[in-house]
Amino acid sequence: MDPDKCTGCGTCLEVCPIRYEVQLPPEEEAKARAAYAEATEEEAVADIIARHRDEPGNLLPILLDINRHFNWLPRPALEHVAGDLGMPLTEILRVASFYNAFSLVPRGKHIINVCLGTGCFVKGSPRLLEGLERKLGIAHGQTTDDMLFTLEVVRCIGCCALAPALRIDDATFGRVTPGQVGKIIDSYTKAAGQ
Amino acid sequence: MKISSLTQLMAVKEKGLAQTYPNKIKLMVGLATCGISAGADEVYRCLSQKLAEAGLDVVLAKTGCIGFCQKEPLVDVVYPGKVRLTYQSMTPEKAAELVSSLKDRRIMDDNLLCRIDQDEFLVEGVVRPYANPHPPALPAQVPRYNELPFFNKQVKISLRNCGFINPESIEEYIGRGGYRALHKAVTMLTPEEVIEQIKASKLRGRGGAGFPTGLKWEFARKAEGDIKYLICNADEGDPGAFMDRGILEGDPHAVLEGMAIGAYAIGASVGYIYCRAEYPLAIERLKIAISQAEAYGLLGENIFGAPFSFKLKIREGAGAFVCGEETSLIASIEGKVGEPRPRPPFPAQSGLWGKPTVINNVKTWSHIAPIIARGPEWYANYGQGESKGTTVFSLVGKINNSGLVEVPLGISLREMIYDVGGGIAKGREFKAVQTGGPSGGCIPAQYLDTPVDYESLAALGSIMGSGGMIVMDEADCMVNVAKYFLEFTMDESCGKCTPCREGTMRLMQMLDAITAGRGQEGDLEKLEKMSRLIKKTSLCGLGATAPNPVLTTLKYFRDEYVAHIRDKKCPAKVCKELITFSVVADNCTGCQLCRLRCPAEAIAGAKKEVHRIIQDKCIKCGTCYDACKFDAIAVE
Ligand SMILES: Cc1cc2nc3c(=O)[nH]c(=O)nc-3n(C[C@H](O)[C@H](O)[C@H](O)COP(=O)(O)O)c2cc1C
Ligand code: FES
Repeated sequence: MDPDKCTGCGTCLEVCPIRYEVQLPPEEEAKARAAYAEATEEEAVADIIARHRDEPGNLLPILLDINRHFNWLPRPALEHVAGDLGMPLTEILRVASFYNAFSLVPRGKHIINVCLGTGCFVKGSPRLLEGLERKLGIAHGQTTDDMLFTLEVVRCIGCCALAPALRIDDATFGRVTPGQVGKIIDSYTKAAGQ
Repeated sequence: MKISSLTQLMAVKEKGLAQTYPNKIKLMVGLATCGISAGADEVYRCLSQKLAEAGLDVVLAKTGCIGFCQKEPLVDVVYPGKVRLTYQSMTPEKAAELVSSLKDRRIMDDNLLCRIDQDEFLVEGVVRPYANPHPPALPAQVPRYNELPFFNKQVKISLRNCGFINPESIEEYIGRGGYRALHKAVTMLTPEEVIEQIKASKLRGRGGAGFPTGLKWEFARKAEGDIKYLICNADEGDPGAFMDRGILEGDPHAVLEGMAIGAYAIGASVGYIYCRAEYPLAIERLKIAISQAEAYGLLGENIFGAPFSFKLKIREGAGAFVCGEETSLIASIEGKVGEPRPRPPFPAQSGLWGKPTVINNVKTWSHIAPIIARGPEWYANYGQGESKGTTVFSLVGKINNSGLVEVPLGISLREMIYDVGGGIAKGREFKAVQTGGPSGGCIPAQYLDTPVDYESLAALGSIMGSGGMIVMDEADCMVNVAKYFLEFTMDESCGKCTPCREGTMRLMQMLDAITAGRGQEGDLEKLEKMSRLIKKTSLCGLGATAPNPVLTTLKYFRDEYVAHIRDKKCPAKVCKELITFSVVADNCTGCQLCRLRCPAEAIAGAKKEVHRIIQDKCIKCGTCYDACKFDAIAVE
């Protein structure tokens, strides 16, 4: 593509036949491929599909359940869904890459969501995020090498009156100070070590 | 047991009342997400354990959020026939103390927030005093609930049961008059009469655009089609807003009943609640509520014996802001990518699977039952002009009393912020209040006397939106705030139309340059021109409103932009590229605290000697500023 000539009209996007084949950076791609091998619990996927089979518009609930089961959307599971529902894989990938809740790469055991909603933003949550990035040695959107934590950003978890807030898996923490962040993470690291 | 008559409903009501007001002391813990994040579940566990240890015959119950999130965790003690006392900022230690005070038949004085002498059953229009016949003399100086400035201007219609009932008990909802309005609608009114009443109440949609609800229903009723659908929009995508969460977690049946009445009115037999996945507790409570209503036959076939059937399903969102927009939401329920499509046709003509569909916000649905029960005139008594009734706001940011508040439309911003909200936290200066989320704008101090209604806020370049109200003070940089919102809309733009996809990115790049000190003369005019272009040409509301935060900050806080561009200074001292941290030698005691806390090892200095910041290493995180107890860190 010639950046000087591109007007950003989007026409190429509209006609591109492989536009929803998600392009991952090489190292992420390798990680994802390696994880496929472990993520072929066909029965679990079949169960999830069976649960929603007769619902109209069932793709989203199926993907949500798969995402919850594996913590991400493994390619073999998506191929399974495509085969079973008789839907092109590219269409499924398109949906999967559109919504923020889905991950196409493996994520850590604990998912940390730092709220950057307006309520938390004005109460200093960007500094919590910076603190976590430093503490974990990763940028948001990434996973630690030991696969323990994935650091993500969310725009509001409805806890705005107790801002700044963050969520680790199902636990919500309100009125978090930059000083507390380290302790919270340590408690999870310690629990994992035991 | 199925409820198919009023007598049966009244029997369940008695059961519910007995549950809400048992003949023994009852403890209630506010267990909504806000309470839980403040530690309410620990308090609950501790209470339950200590009560068992003490062998006390006391009821321990869950409730939703009464709105005063600032004071969470909240624990209420109801003394039957006497009074209800609300305790604030509870901890496990205080919970243990509370239990021992109950054991000694004392009243604990610490942490007491207020007393509640009576409950209002809004849909029935009756008041039920706790005290019988007279309120007790005790406790003396404790203010009454409705005397607290936070509560006294509030009129709770949407929030009528939040913090008063156990949200996981349909009996308690029925106890306070729940499902009476559905009975009335289905057995005594024709669908057209229901629509007439909603029209007469002048209720407008509370999800953002403020379209008259009755009119929308009428379109759908009149639209051709054998199948019609109903949708509750619980996507609540605006950051800094949690009204819908509060209602769903505190009183899910209020939404269910409203939807059932709506279904009867437009002739729908299936409804969907589309709730964002970030609200797991709301989804759980909705599921419980639906199965309870089904068990009583209040959802399902032949409701109240009438030829009317209605089923409700829950759909979870998957984290896409644009899915709050109605056409995107419909696409998402259909299992597709949540991209908007041009309107018309409006969903009322052709919506879900091409059928006529009514889509309303959670708050809108929760107003329906009281309107049908009490009549449209009663409802239209509240509010002013074209904006009738009440609405719920989430009051957050740099304010003393943050929480959920429901006020009649037309109240002034000043009353909201200074009376209900208790003013600006830490004694700072008010700078702006942001309404309407990423589609709204920032309103400055000179407009604080503006009434909060659809038209007045629109005239200022903001919108009512769904109810987020974020208060900002002198320490917030308005250019940075505009950039924040643009970053949000740029990320959330679905990419279908060019003005929004490319335009928000360009705006964002320009704002980024300005906050980084790379702004140039003429940038502001470019920003304005680009903003107007995006507004005019975008496909859906996301793009059409995305420039609002830029336009309003440019209009009301232009000098801040100019300071960034011309003087390369950030007056609020926020934008990192434009500030430096330094040590004020006269104040520094050499205590080492900042040096130890600094994550970048950018502070040098021996103990008891004046410290120094190594500018090359400084990442401007502000940790030293927060750490210093002697005002010895300056930001310029
Ligand atoms: C970008 C965008 C996001 C929206 N998000 C929401 C939302 O989160 N919740 C909501 O109720 N309405 C939202 N709306 C408004 C809906 O499109 C629709 O107007 C509303 O659900 C209608 O319900 P009401 O008449 O009860 O307000 C959004 C609109 C736009 C353009
Ligand atoms: S803004 Fe962070 S929880 Fe709402």
